[in-house]
Formats: sequence, structure tokens, C-alpha cells
Amino acid sequence: MASAPDQTGAAALWGLAAEFSDPAAVSHAAEAVRDAGYTRWDVLAPFPIHGIDKAMGLKPSRVSFFVGFGAFLGLTSAILMQGWMGGIDYKIIVGGKPLLAWEQSMPIMFELSILFGGIAAILGMFLTNGLPMWYHPVLKTPALSRASDDKFFVVIESADPKFDRAGVEAMLRGAGALNVEEVER
Amino acid sequence: MSHSHAHADLALAPDNVYLSDNAGRSLWMGLGAVGLGLVAVTVLGGITGDAKTASIALHAYHTAAMYVMGIPLGAMGVVMILHQVNAGWSATLRRQFENVMRLMPVGIAAIIGSFVLQAVFVRVFPAGEKAPYLWNWMNPAYIDGDPLYAAKWPYLTLWRFYGCALLYFAIWMGLSSALWNYSTRQDADGDRWHTARARKLSAVGLPLFAFTTAFAAFDWVMTLDFHWFSTMFGVWYFAGNMVGCLATTLLVLVLLRSFGRLHVCFTDEHLHDMSKLLFGFTVFWAYISFSQYFLIWYAMIPEETLFFIVRREGVWNYLAWGVPIGHFIVPFILLLPRPWRRKRGVVGLMCVWLLAMHALDYFWFIRPEVKGSGLHWLDAVGVVGPILVLAGALVRQVASGPLVPLKDPRLGEALGHTNTI
Repeated sequence: MASAPDQTGAAALWGLAAEFSDPAAVSHAAEAVRDAGYTRWDVLAPFPIHGIDKAMGLKPSRVSFFVGFGAFLGLTSAILMQGWMGGIDYKIIVGGKPLLAWEQSMPIMFELSILFGGIAAILGMFLTNGLPMWYHPVLKTPALSRASDDKFFVVIESADPKFDRAGVEAMLRGAGALNVEEVER
Repeated sequence: MSHSHAHADLALAPDNVYLSDNAGRSLWMGLGAVGLGLVAVTVLGGITGDAKTASIALHAYHTAAMYVMGIPLGAMGVVMILHQVNAGWSATLRRQFENVMRLMPVGIAAIIGSFVLQAVFVRVFPAGEKAPYLWNWMNPAYIDGDPLYAAKWPYLTLWRFYGCALLYFAIWMGLSSALWNYSTRQDADGDRWHTARARKLSAVGLPLFAFTTAFAAFDWVMTLDFHWFSTMFGVWYFAGNMVGCLATTLLVLVLLRSFGRLHVCFTDEHLHDMSKLLFGFTVFWAYISFSQYFLIWYAMIPEETLFFIVRREGVWNYLAWGVPIGHFIVPFILLLPRPWRRKRGVVGLMCVWLLAMHALDYFWFIRPEVKGSGLHWLDAVGVVGPILVLAGALVRQVASGPLVPLKDPRLGEALGHTNTI
């Protein structure tokens, strides 16, 4: 299947993918890429690799801030909702309890904090990881499909400011790559 | 493999896993002497005052006795859970839980102290409804014609009470000695089957532990007011003890690390996981305590609500607000950020804080049973005395042997432990 030529006529190079046979090898390669100072790159693996985020130099996830904000929002809305419904809008005494007892609002405050926190976690995850994404260049390269089976890859994008084709290929081979593939846009 | 061998050599170097000879000797002797002195002051203060002062002294002492009993009990539960789930990450930390567990005789002596002190006080002061009993159902003048006592008498008899206490003591001493012996024998002979035996014993020991601690809480705290009952009281005692024993053990580990011991054995990764446990059980304690209060508040059954009405009046109402804030909200906020859970200074301070809050929690449950009384100087003396004795015994225990299980088969796994989250 011929790939569509871009405006300049040449097939556009999106990045280079280096193949590794096991998690340890790809972790060491990731450390090398991290130390070389690349910023637009990723590791593809069939399963989560312990310690890969450290090897890649990834910053801690920002999802927890979304969760904290969501939980706080949930807590606030529960207090306002309970106060409005029980204390202002529909005053009815149940079981001799005060209209605005904090005790009876506590389960609602707890549940809404959890609910809003959970929803914020999912939204925050989508916002920070860029999903949903309907197309990605690595999906087009047949060799990379083994990333969901038994192979491990480091992919460096050509958009990386430090990218130069020969240098990246040499660096990846030096890091122990079994094979280096071109990934088209 | 060679990597973990190098780790193990570094970790098990004598100056890393032993304290120096006679370390902490003057400290534990001092703590023990001051603690015993304060206990003596409590007893004298009770005897020389009136019946109400005696009752105050007795309840303050009993608060500390439950505290001192609960911390080794919680540690025994943790040791059994770690064995049962075959935990690898904690192998280097388990000895400190075992050291805390080894203080079981101190706790048992403290509880027997409550029995003896009550027996002495009721003989010194005149009999009658106001006699300084800890457990009022033992007072014939108090239960005379009480329909609730008539309904509950088969459970509330002296034979059942003391018989069960003996049974709990026997089970706890048996389990804790056996677990301790497996671990220390392995230090000497390196037989890895000791680990398997400890694991098998834990399978039997955990249900026994669950039932005995729950019933001990019913017997020794809940029946202080025998009209009252709460079905989740056993869980409340368990949750409090877990916070207490985790804070104690974590404090020991943090201090040992600051004395230049346990390099590689107690890393930031282990600290992080211990902080998570402490955080988790702080939240669990809050969940249980609130649920217990909430269900009784909602149901409004007179014999249940009386318990909380007494504790939300006068000075006790300050504690009713202060304990949830200090025992839950403050540690919840301070132990929530990941970087703080990995700082020994922050976590160490939180341990000290939580140990104080844990004592206040028990104080709020036990001490208001002296009806119509406010705070008294004997409260401070009575609560602090036995706790200092426990602290002294702990210092002595920690200094007495190796600080890690030297030949545990899972040591390698613990040394390389990391957190992914």
C-alpha cells in the first residue's frame, strides 16, 4: 500500500522507532534517550513496565490536582445542596432532628466528594493524556503492531527540536536497538 | 542477583542493624521510673481524696491501661497480617512490629492493674451507689433493681468477666511468644521454614485476634456503662489500635534511621508505604468512629444516645470536636501530599501527634463515665504514667537485639522495594 505523498512530494517522516526484545533493554534505552535531552518521544510496550516513568524522566501525573479540585467541588455542592433543601426550601422535621444538622449531611458530603473526585479523575486523565485520539502514526507502521504482542519500542518524533535522522538512528543503535524503523506521518 | 547481594551485605553490617551496647539504658530506666512514679501518684491521689477523686484516678489510669494494652495488640495483628499475605516489602521492618508486639506483658500488667486498683479502691471507700467502681455492674448497690442488668446478667458476671480476661491474656501471650520465637530462632539458625510456620500460625491467630480484641473492648470499655451497647465497638478498638501501633512502630523506625541505623533497610520507599498505612488507618478510624456516632444519633434509642449525650456536655464537648479534628482532619491534610509522606521529619511529627490524639480518643471514651466531673490534675498524671512505662519498655526492647530479621528469606525483596505510585 503506497503512502500518500505530502505537499512536497516526499513521504513525510514522522519519527524513528527502535525495536527492543525485553523490558530491561527498553528501560536502559529510555534512560539513554532521556539523558540525551529529547522531549518528544515515547516508549511502546505490551504491558506496564515498573520504573519506566523514572527511566523516561516523566513528571508526576497532574491528575491528582483535578481529583482534589473535584472532591472540593463535590464537598461544597453537598453542603450547599443539603443546606438549601433541608434548611431553606423544604423545612420538615424528621425524627426530631435539627433542620441543619451536619451529621445527616455527612454521608452526602462524603459521597459527592467521591463522585465528583472520580469524575474529575476521568476528565483530568483525558485532558492530560490527549485521549480520545482517533489516529496516530505508529498505528500505520506494521512492524510496530508487535508492541501489543512481544516487542518493545522507543519512538522519537521528527518534531523533536534535537531530531536529526542519522544522529537519532546512531544513538538508538548504540542503546542496543535490534532494528530501527521509519514511521510515516 | 549480585546487585541484591551487595545490598544485603551493606544492609546487614553490624553497625547498621545493632544499636551499641547499653544504648538507651539511662533513657528506658528514666522513662520507667518516672512512669511508675506517676502511677504511684495516681494511686495515692485516688486514695487520699474522696470517692469521686478515686473514681477519676481509676478512670484516668484505665484510659492508659487500654492504650498500653492496645498498642502491642495492634502490632501483633500487623505481624500476623504481614505473615499471612506473605509480604515481601516489609521484611526489614517486621522486627520493629515484633518489638512492639513483645510488650504484650506490659499491656496485660496494665489491665490487671485496673482490676487490682478497682478492688483496692472499693475496699478503701464506703460501699454504696457512689463507690468508686470502674465497672458499675460489679457494684451491688448500683445494679439493684436495674431491668437492663437483669436482662444482661449472664454476660455481666465476675466469673465470665475474669475468666474471659484470662483466656484473652493466654491467647495473646501464646500467639505473641510463638511469633517472636519463630522470628528470633530464624536469626540464629536461618531455617526458612520458620517463616512458613509463622504463616500457618497467623491463619489461626488472626480470627482469634479479631474475636478476642473485640470482646476485650466490649468487656473493658463498653461495659463501663453496661446500659449502652454498640455493635461496631470491637472495630473501633481495632482501628484505634492500628493507628497507635503503626504510629509507634513508624516512630521507632524514623528514630533508628536518624541514629544512623537501618540504611537500605528502611528507605524512603518503605517510609512511603508505612505512611500510606498510617494514613489509611487514620481514615478508617474516622469512618468507624463517625459511623458509630451517626447510627446512634439517627436511631435515637434512649439507652444508646445516653452515651453520647454525656460526652457532648461540658468540657467533654470540646474533646468531642477536638478529637475528630486532631485525629482525622489534621493528619488527613498533612499526610495527603505524596512528597510529605516521604519526609521523615513530617511523618515522625505526625506519629507523635497521632499517638497523643489516640490517647485523647480513649480518654474521651472512658473518662466521662465519672458522671458530673470536669478535668482534674489526676487525669494528666494517670494517663501519662503507664504510657511512659510502655515507652521505657519499648526502648529497652528495641535496644536488646538485631533491628531486622537477619535471615528472613524475603529480605532481598524488601531491600529492593520501590513504589510505582
